[in-house]
Amino acid sequence: MRILVISLFFVLVGCASYPLKNGFSPNDLERNEITNPYFSDTTKDYIYKTQVSAFDKNFGGILAIKKLGEEHHRLVFTTEMGNTIFDFTFKENEFIVNKILKELDRKILVNILKRDFLAMITQKAKIQKTYKKESKTLENGLILSKTHLFLTENGQLLKIIRIGNGREKVVITFDQISQNVANNILIAHKSIKLRIHLKAI
Amino acid sequence: MTVHGYAQSEMSATEAESLRSKVQIAATNTQTISSDFTQYKHIDFLSNDIESKGTLTFEAPDKVKWEYSTPFSYSVIFKNKTLYINDEGNKNSMDLGSNKTFKQLNELITSSIRGDMFDAQRFTISYFTKDDRSVVHFLPKDEQFSEFIQVFHLTFNTKGEVEEVKMIEPSGDYTQIVFSNRILNQPLSDADFSH
Repeated sequence: MRILVISLFFVLVGCASYPLKNGFSPNDLERNEITNPYFSDTTKDYIYKTQVSAFDKNFGGILAIKKLGEEHHRLVFTTEMGNTIFDFTFKENEFIVNKILKELDRKILVNILKRDFLAMITQKAKIQKTYKKESKTLENGLILSKTHLFLTENGQLLKIIRIGNGREKVVITFDQISQNVANNILIAHKSIKLRIHLKAI
Repeated sequence: MTVHGYAQSEMSATEAESLRSKVQIAATNTQTISSDFTQYKHIDFLSNDIESKGTLTFEAPDKVKWEYSTPFSYSVIFKNKTLYINDEGNKNSMDLGSNKTFKQLNELITSSIRGDMFDAQRFTISYFTKDDRSVVHFLPKDEQFSEFIQVFHLTFNTKGEVEEVKMIEPSGDYTQIVFSNRILNQPLSDADFSH
């Protein structure tokens, strides 16, 4: 009986939503949408020295991001010497691959990059649920029909967490924030060996 | 960045031949080069070019080190037909996809220094003068390579030394590398090309 209770406890905890598992409690919605301010200024060039570790291989380059209009961003990744590796456009619900090296032109990889970067740059997301833990707030929204949790503290967006089956799939951490620029960003995948580290230059 | 709007005119066959031999003589007399460089990456939709600076070290026949110091620390060394990368302390990391581009660029730079860059089998070459400088356009004939770089523009000073390299991508975006403070034939050691 005791084993059954313990098992049941783990099953229930396992099924509990990510916020509850992490000590957050449901709260009334305080707003309808969340704003990610880090790629929101059309007058700014967002330039990052980037290091990618993918399946024990490391490579680097320069990531240039520009907001070109409402729900319209362009994102280019080049080598340090300037040769373009990929060039994407995100415009409303459209995603355009302007260019990608033949070696990287794999549907699976392009989809990962699309999801990661779209989650990172999406400026506004509708909120469905809100959770609180002390000064921290988790807000639940959808990007490309996947659940994303936006962690804020004192109004500052610190993390975007993509959730699958109640677990972290991808965690985007914004750090060294100054004047609406996140100078340090880490995109860490939890189910595959992929990390993308961006440092503003 | 200032872009000079001076017109350039095409060289005559004699002028082109004269440039080729001038570069050849400069190349024969060059064993080592140490030079600063400033790189401007122009991407059409950005408000400003991405600027980076560093040093280039070359030793004949084919050792080259590009070392970026600002705004990031990164070096790439070509020696013994191998590419060594030091990306802010991460050594030997794989350089994705750009090996071929790097190799060809490196070959172009080293060839230009050696004076045998004017390879009509690999490039369609055209010669221009611009003020007192010579500008040579190299269109790669290799289709795969021209997907990365549509054309290289190399600018030579009156002494036949490379002052500037511009790599233009098919989209029109380009990388411009401008050399300065060039020191010729200063003895170099293995340490200058250490990884």
